[in-house]
Amino acid sequence: MRRLVAAGKLWIPLGAWLSFVLAPYGWMFITSIKPPTELYTKTVQYWPHHPAFEGYRLLMQTTPFLGYMRNSGVVALSTCAVALCAATAAAYCFSRIPFKGKGILLFGFLLTQLFPAVLLVLPLFLIMRSLGILNTPPALILAHSTFAVPFSTWLLTGFFNAIPRELDEAATIDGCTRLQAFRYVLLPLSAPGVAAAVTYIFIYSWNEFLYALTFTADLRARTLPVGLQTFMGEYIIRWDLLTAGGVITALPIVIFFMLVQRHLIAGLTAGAVKG
Amino acid sequence: MPAPRRFRICCLVVAALAVLFVPGGFTPLHAQTPTVVHYWLWLDDPTAPMFDSLVKEFNASHPGIKVEYQLVPLSEYHDKVVTALAAGSGPDAGRFKDWWLGEFVKLNALEPLTPLIGKWPGRAEIIENLWETGKIMSSGPVFMLPHQFITFYLYYRKDWFAAAGLKPPTTFDDFLVAAKKLTDPTKNQYGFGLRGGAGGQDQWLAFFSAAGGRLVDGQGKVILNNEQGVKANQWYIDLFRTLKVAPPSAPTDAYAQCLGAFQAGTTAMFAHHVGSSVMVTQKPGADSVGVVPIPAADPKKPATMVTMAGNVVFAGSKQKEAAFTFISWLSEANATDKWSSSREGQLPSVKSVSKLPRYTNNPFFKVSLDSANFAIAWPPLPGVGYVSAQGWQANMQRALVGQISSKDMLDEIARALQR
Amino acid sequence: MRSPGRFSAEAKGRHGRGGTWVLPLFLLSPALALLLGVVAYPICRAVWLSFHRFEILRPDLSQFVGLDHYRDLLTDPVLRIALANSGLWVAGVVCFQFLGGLIGALILNQRFPGRAAIRGLALIPWATPSVLVALMWTWMLDGNYGLVNDLLVKAKILSRFQPWLAQPWSALPGVILADVWQGVPFFAVMLLAALQAIPEDLFEAARIDGASPGRVLRHVTLPLLLPTILLTVMLRVIWTANYMDLIMIMTGGGPGYSSLTVPLYAYYTAYKRLDFGSGATIAIVQVLVLAAVMVFYLRQLRKNEVMVQ
Repeated sequence: MRRLVAAGKLWIPLGAWLSFVLAPYGWMFITSIKPPTELYTKTVQYWPHHPAFEGYRLLMQTTPFLGYMRNSGVVALSTCAVALCAATAAAYCFSRIPFKGKGILLFGFLLTQLFPAVLLVLPLFLIMRSLGILNTPPALILAHSTFAVPFSTWLLTGFFNAIPRELDEAATIDGCTRLQAFRYVLLPLSAPGVAAAVTYIFIYSWNEFLYALTFTADLRARTLPVGLQTFMGEYIIRWDLLTAGGVITALPIVIFFMLVQRHLIAGLTAGAVKG
Repeated sequence: MPAPRRFRICCLVVAALAVLFVPGGFTPLHAQTPTVVHYWLWLDDPTAPMFDSLVKEFNASHPGIKVEYQLVPLSEYHDKVVTALAAGSGPDAGRFKDWWLGEFVKLNALEPLTPLIGKWPGRAEIIENLWETGKIMSSGPVFMLPHQFITFYLYYRKDWFAAAGLKPPTTFDDFLVAAKKLTDPTKNQYGFGLRGGAGGQDQWLAFFSAAGGRLVDGQGKVILNNEQGVKANQWYIDLFRTLKVAPPSAPTDAYAQCLGAFQAGTTAMFAHHVGSSVMVTQKPGADSVGVVPIPAADPKKPATMVTMAGNVVFAGSKQKEAAFTFISWLSEANATDKWSSSREGQLPSVKSVSKLPRYTNNPFFKVSLDSANFAIAWPPLPGVGYVSAQGWQANMQRALVGQISSKDMLDEIARALQR
Repeated sequence: MRSPGRFSAEAKGRHGRGGTWVLPLFLLSPALALLLGVVAYPICRAVWLSFHRFEILRPDLSQFVGLDHYRDLLTDPVLRIALANSGLWVAGVVCFQFLGGLIGALILNQRFPGRAAIRGLALIPWATPSVLVALMWTWMLDGNYGLVNDLLVKAKILSRFQPWLAQPWSALPGVILADVWQGVPFFAVMLLAALQAIPEDLFEAARIDGASPGRVLRHVTLPLLLPTILLTVMLRVIWTANYMDLIMIMTGGGPGYSSLTVPLYAYYTAYKRLDFGSGATIAIVQVLVLAAVMVFYLRQLRKNEVMVQ
């Protein structure tokens, strides 16, 4: 009985929370398998009478959807690499190296987040054009990295700060260089922070729309969010393609996080510093 | 020669040969690189191969020109063009809407096409009064080449009308009688799908004009907020506020919601145009749907609304003639027929095409083309761009929910049109 | 093998003459290059725009108008409505996203079978493209055949369907609901990561002392999470203030101006009225408000002595 109550304390809140989180996605999935005639009905129809996966087939075979996904993947992974490197280096610097003007610099990092994208898109377009990278993935990788770096830096700085300096020092006394201390002590201990930062950067880049639309709308370089929007025409809305596309677009991130979340485990710092 | 040196020379020779024969490395003098024309457009159904095959056909039949196109979602099209122009780049030619004509001509962004049209043999084939849609002043140059247009008409559930003993509406009185009779909130059924949300300004203009209101007078002066206009607008507002023949969601209903409501059997009448005829034939089905011109307050003075999606050449283009060759090709009988008969299809601007049986035998096309005789377009004022994107919507919604009066709404729109 | 004295030599340098500049510069250069090279120019451009009347096709002909745009905005009733809506939008969204995320983080921190898969699934709202979030929620909140209405009527909470997005008082709350759904996983992931940094022994100690889960939460967990909470809440406030995709697709700012927020107003002014100068000014008004908020927050962070050592 006690075990039942204990289990209930976990599974009931989990079930309720998950229902809220998954219901609209479920609705999107249901919509994607409804034939067009069953889409708008007088009373709400929860499950289609004739479910069909036609939308998915059309999506894969008649649209450049897989190409969009490849482009999005390339941009997102590259952005992760670039932004993570820049942010980790900067965070290490903010956390472990004292210098004047640190506070102002950190504040400056955040200043860039204050402006709405819509205002910055025009001058950014000019920059991309003068660099000659319009309609290529590097334009997006550059734009996305720039906007992902400030938050990632702040996040990682916080995680690095939470790890006592004594651990670094212990490592260096044992004969490591700064870089080795960073690689073998600091980084593993801040794995949760790195995991969180990588997740944030990937998702931001994967779903980013405005810069993707403005800098790379050419068919060869087009990413998923822009591609999905083309399924909404002036008078014809391809709900089948849109919702099938939506269902599939979320899945790589789910898989990505299932791999990354291994690093979100507790107890790494327990007992690390004795006395 | 020692071996490494020989090897190096071989490499150089191979490299030089590669440069010569790799495409683009060295162009033989007699070949001609085609002029590249960049064309932007939006399409309704991006999975349909119609446009791609048209471009291939053009490129094959015009060896000196190569058209490269970019598909942009309509909702972003205007903004993307503005950004590109502001950055000094942008396409050579593009699909265009008459909503934006006024503001773009004011910016000197469009190339006047009259001289090029003068040399184009296909000009006599265009339906005469459609040239107006591409001009700012009747006596002025043409900025937009007519291509695909639509006129508004009214869908109605002929099965419900028959069951209720109603005849298809031709006058406002018929319309109101039918709307009231077919409204039953308890069954979640309403007479008319009023569209207060995005894009609803076209339908509003159709009814506003049919009620006797006018946006501008003969001299181009803005008169929509005169007494006649206020009354016409009030009639439209009352459909929702006092008569309640529209669903409660009307203020923010956009195209998807209005079409969906008609398909689901929530509304009995829905004003739109030939662009949705395919969807409507699918559901509720050709047997349940009838189509009539927009009812008029005074049967002797019918009116509806026309909007043109044409093609323009941008002033900053370096390939104006080649660009015009492409867009004028699109407005010739062959390309126009292919476009109009596809799922994308709207009304053809070419006389001979509009007389083809596949259009005259299609009830939706027929009613549209007949309505063209008394159709009114948005005036080519610079403020129309803003009004059609945001100005009409915000003020119509405020009037529908009772925050402002009919006169206030029209005053605001008049102010925006005159900026 | 480096000599142990190397570290102490650096330490001397640190405490002595303020440290060397080379290493910090080298480490910061990628981030700084990105920010200065890519973002600084657009920001300066935006500020410049607010002092000019921008000619779209001939930017060199733009006129300097000084504070005219700012002066005009002082008497703009729509801006006041937009600011109020923005305040409501940010407060509503961040509050509930945070609560939902905290609950999620606490649950996902427990050990249970299938945790990896469930943690993956929990990311779905954040992983769904915004256009689909907007379309699905618009459909779910629909006044004629929306899921939400159907469930509420079936549960006897409502007597009839409500057109949530068509009523001035419920339009913005409707969009807030959609954004809350989309953002809960963000907080869940960030707080989950921060939870890992709390040593197990602290929880053990509290449990041994007989503290209830509620007290553990209040006196152990939350205080230790505070730095992360403050950081993520502050950034979420800034991002939410600038986030207009959902509002644009779900209500377009309507009905009327009842869900119009400041960035949406700036966008309409710039791209629909083709008045980039005024649009930039509206955006900068919000930047100033947010900057003030940020300064306040940073003072709080400093009090926690986390950022500046």
